[in-house]
Amino acid sequence: MKISGSYTLPFARERAYQMLQDPEVLAKCMPGTDHLAKIGPDEYEMKMKMVISAVQGLFAGKIRVTGQKPPEQFRLVVEGSGKVGFLKGEGVLRLMPADASTEVHYDGDVQVGGVIAGVGQRLLDTTAKMVIRKFFEKLTELAGQASQPAAG
Amino acid sequence: MIPQNFEYSAPNNLKEALALLAGGNAKVLAGGMSLIPLMKLRLAAPEHLVDLSRVPDLKSIREDAGTIRIGAMTTHWEVEASPLLRSKCPLLAEAASNIGDVQVRNMGTIGGSIAHADPAADYPAALLALEAQVRISSAKRERTLGIAEFLVEALTTALEPGEIVREIIVPIEASGAGVSYQKMVQPASGFAIVGAAARLRKSGGKVSFVHVGITGLAGKAFRATRVEKLLAGTAGSTAEVQKAAAVAADGVDANTDLHASAAYRRQMAKVYTARALTQALARAS
Repeated sequence: MKISGSYTLPFARERAYQMLQDPEVLAKCMPGTDHLAKIGPDEYEMKMKMVISAVQGLFAGKIRVTGQKPPEQFRLVVEGSGKVGFLKGEGVLRLMPADASTEVHYDGDVQVGGVIAGVGQRLLDTTAKMVIRKFFEKLTELAGQASQPAAG
Repeated sequence: MIPQNFEYSAPNNLKEALALLAGGNAKVLAGGMSLIPLMKLRLAAPEHLVDLSRVPDLKSIREDAGTIRIGAMTTHWEVEASPLLRSKCPLLAEAASNIGDVQVRNMGTIGGSIAHADPAADYPAALLALEAQVRISSAKRERTLGIAEFLVEALTTALEPGEIVREIIVPIEASGAGVSYQKMVQPASGFAIVGAAARLRKSGGKVSFVHVGITGLAGKAFRATRVEKLLAGTAGSTAEVQKAAAVAADGVDANTDLHASAAYRRQMAKVYTARALTQALARAS
């Protein structure tokens, strides 16, 4: 399954790049992530609990960041598996400055297999778009919180 | 396959049902046409099911002050066959008659369907065109939402833990109105590749009112307001219908799956919107 699209983040490119490289930020933004640990240079291990409607899936997997060209682009390699199926894929994220904001263009290819792909084929595309949108929405929210001046 | 063990309750009144659901851990069994297959595949493993089929207040279709109120546990077949709906809200009955197969229509319920919020379900197209209201209850409170607010996104509704859909409220169609639901079906699943619901009225030879709902095309069903704007005030000629239907997929991020690419779905959305408008115009007087 090809996944591509773009999302506009309302802050500068350097900041966007930095946030997207920060494992703590990623863990907070990926829906359902409850564990993310560094296991090597630019390589992380994670556990996710996806809840979509009545379906619940626990996934354990790895994320690797390669081909960094700060602050323009990087490549993300993801793999995960759980009882309900597996997921494997990689993609490139390109960051373009647009005035004070940043346009993130993503382009990738993901393979999903197992029971979830067999019965959920019809909903994979919709679900992937939903998860990506939630990720960027959360990232925007986090950036907003961090830039609030401290109280007092 | 056999589902994981779960606790099962079948309360016989609404109060008891809402009390059982108040903890937020139990899942409603409304007809089971989506939930039971997921449980058998072990994609879903709720610990506790609360079967609403014995709650009498949730199963009725009645007229009330210019509207028709449909209990959440009314089956698709009951919606399809209801003389009241067929005469006073035929769009909903027509949409119901297109759902799945006869077994699904006999077991599946309108409340269960909208609470599951499948992006290709048939009801949302009709309910959006009808500007339906959804009455929601929990042990603590009651509220009513418009269908557009209720359907948040694919498989996600505004229902909070402990809340159930209690009733769906639709308007009584004005006399002389024309309605139509046109669906391109994916034969294996019975779901819509795209489905278009049109509802319109004519006055003095012009289209004076038009609502269009489209399902299956995007992450959730939506009102095609661009189509409506183009058709309203015209005579509804073939050329005007084609022109209006041509914008049905404009600005929409279309779904892709094995059965239909995004480009094909967009094209079919235009074709089925034109068919729904054409038939609704022919039925209007």
